[in-house]
Amino acid sequence: MSSVDINGVTKTFNQGRADEVVALSEVDLTVGDGEFVSLIGPSGCGKSTLLRLIADLIAPSTGTITVAGKSAGAARKEQAYGIAFQQSGLFEWRTVLKNVELPLELRGLSRPERKAKAEQMLALVGLEDFAGHYPAQLSGGMQQRVAIARALAVQPPLLLMDEPFGALDEMTRERLQSELLGICAQTGTSTVFVTHSISEAVFLSNRVVVMSARPGRITASITVDLPSRDDAGRLSPAFFDKITEVRQALRGDAAPARPAENAVAGTDPR
Amino acid sequence: MRRVLYVLLGLAVVAALWEGYKVVGNPEGTVLFGVRILPRADDLSMPHLWTVLERLGRPELTGGRPVWIVVLSACLFTLGITAAGFVIGAFVGLLLAIVMERFGIVERGLLPYVILSQTVPLVALAPLVAGWGGTLMPPWATVSVIAAYLAFFPVAVGMLRGLQSPSASGVELMRSYAAGWWRTLVKLRFPASLPYLFPALRLAGAAAVVGAVVGEISTGTRGGIGRLIIEYSREATSDPAKVYTAMLGAALLGLVVAGLVSLLEVPLMRHRRHVEVVTL
Repeated sequence: MSSVDINGVTKTFNQGRADEVVALSEVDLTVGDGEFVSLIGPSGCGKSTLLRLIADLIAPSTGTITVAGKSAGAARKEQAYGIAFQQSGLFEWRTVLKNVELPLELRGLSRPERKAKAEQMLALVGLEDFAGHYPAQLSGGMQQRVAIARALAVQPPLLLMDEPFGALDEMTRERLQSELLGICAQTGTSTVFVTHSISEAVFLSNRVVVMSARPGRITASITVDLPSRDDAGRLSPAFFDKITEVRQALRGDAAPARPAENAVAGTDPR
Repeated sequence: MRRVLYVLLGLAVVAALWEGYKVVGNPEGTVLFGVRILPRADDLSMPHLWTVLERLGRPELTGGRPVWIVVLSACLFTLGITAAGFVIGAFVGLLLAIVMERFGIVERGLLPYVILSQTVPLVALAPLVAGWGGTLMPPWATVSVIAAYLAFFPVAVGMLRGLQSPSASGVELMRSYAAGWWRTLVKLRFPASLPYLFPALRLAGAAAVVGAVVGEISTGTRGGIGRLIIEYSREATSDPAKVYTAMLGAALLGLVVAGLVSLLEVPLMRHRRHVEVVTL
């Protein structure tokens, strides 16, 4: 069974008005169980919109979305997914532990159950010593880890992430990428990951889905099979080959016609 | 400790300015082209501070209670009115803010009237309230209603901003947890609004004091500090220090209310005290 199934989805904002925007047009996408899929594309290509559609935060104009065999709305009501945004969105008046407990609280778990589960999640992201701290006392990277722990707290089969590392520095970002892979492998969670970093998408994903703008649609789906996903993997030729492939897909048909520019840009893996 | 020191320092500065002006100021006041630009500095207009303090100790009328007891009991009476007005006003303001946050159409329709309500002069409104309310409730309660009329406004406006303060991602997060409107209000919007609520409550406290004092005067309610100021000011020519004792009482009342309101926030804003950032 697939984790996410998107069929012929179109999303139009402000339909019938002068400022009508077609954010997504005829999108089909399937995410398998345990698969890590990245959505990449220029700003305005609708990758965040697609993620919000899966999360049932907005409704599609046409088409159907199935999450874990149910409609997206039913999946949301069952908390069948966890979500993390670019801004950690932690509640500053709650301690780190209480933040992670929030989804469990809304699920109606008892106090000791919540505490045990939340502590387990904090251990998973390596922050068990900071349970009593308030978010304002933590660095950006630590806050983002708390947000990931919170997204995983209900142990959802699906994790949705919208540029979760976008606001972090490169070193923190790479460390969190490795941690995230470890967590996903450990929990067997399927992941849909929105990013605008090519190297991040290639390093993390089993599959990179390339999108283009106006109207937003999927232009390529590139399967990535790295020999290893660690620092050695980041240096492997396969890693750079895939980065080039994704970059060419992002540029569309114009890429092969301008090889000189490609060669220069190719020195920068991002 | 340091705060106490600053408060004392502030008092000393005010006292020094008062007495300093009495030393250098013209007793007849400074008049420029027929307009008085500086007040009279004579003992009738500006009694010495020690005269005022000394007046507090003497009886109100020969054989009566000392002035400080009269002023203090009047303050307590007005404090009761203020408290009732503050609670009613804060509650109404809170309710209005929640309704306005919930229904955009109510916000668009109601907010202009909420703002308009504060432009109606209180002295025009007070007799109306006294007239309508007089048959239903005791005089002190009508004054409380007037105080509430002033107090609800900052709470309604501040709280509305606070309830609307959570980021879109916070609201989306609650939606992703399948939390409905009520749970989003309790878990997200209400805690997020506290930094907006407390300054609003402090304004409401000050407004309630003003409402209570002015309400007492314009409805002719006896027993409070507002009434006392009017009574004592009639004796200003023969006993100028007396009216200042009542004003001191009113100032004290304002400080006490402000202090009580800020005590409210101590248990609720614990996380604000932690600022140190840990990096890992």
